[in-house]
Amino acid sequence: MRHFLVMAAFALLTSVVFGTVAKDTNRERVLYGAKVFAEFMIIGLALGWILYFVPF
Amino acid sequence: MAVSDNVRELEEKVPQRAWLMAFAGWFLPGVGHLLQGKWGRAVLLGGAVWTCFLVGLAMGGHMFSPTPSDQGSSAWLQVPPMIANLGSGVLYISSWLMGVGFSDDPAHAARATYEYGNTFLLIAGLLNYLSMLDAFDISAGRKS
Repeated sequence: MRHFLVMAAFALLTSVVFGTVAKDTNRERVLYGAKVFAEFMIIGLALGWILYFVPF
Repeated sequence: MAVSDNVRELEEKVPQRAWLMAFAGWFLPGVGHLLQGKWGRAVLLGGAVWTCFLVGLAMGGHMFSPTPSDQGSSAWLQVPPMIANLGSGVLYISSWLMGVGFSDDPAHAARATYEYGNTFLLIAGLLNYLSMLDAFDISAGRKS
């Protein structure tokens, strides 16, 4: 559980910065930040499951 | 010829203030935007960098610096992560001066969150480089 929370904190902090420095309008920034956050979480979980089955 | 004229014209238009804002933003995360009255961005960017750095330290992360004991390629391998850490500005410098986060204690490295801490400290510096460039662009009139 702690690993997941650390990953979520990392994704949140990074997506806040990415969303703030990118795009032109506030709406676009929020959407982009949310998209980056979702990508971090989904890819992180997917990689976690893939690596779970790697025997070494 | 015309392209080089345009490039020169663009370079000349960057005001001195933009470099100052970039330096302020690098030195103290968030201040580059604060000095330009961009309160929201200052809180979001500065807050994210400060939080990332402090969480990294709390998790027992280690920062990189070239030390005389490192020789050959070992010394050079310290440089890229050190550049990333250096992005935190005064946070990195003050930690270095106080000796916080620079110890090579094996017991410290054995903590379960050690690698997480390292990553958070590296990312804090890299995020602040992005923040610094944003402060520069705003001051130079390239962004609103």
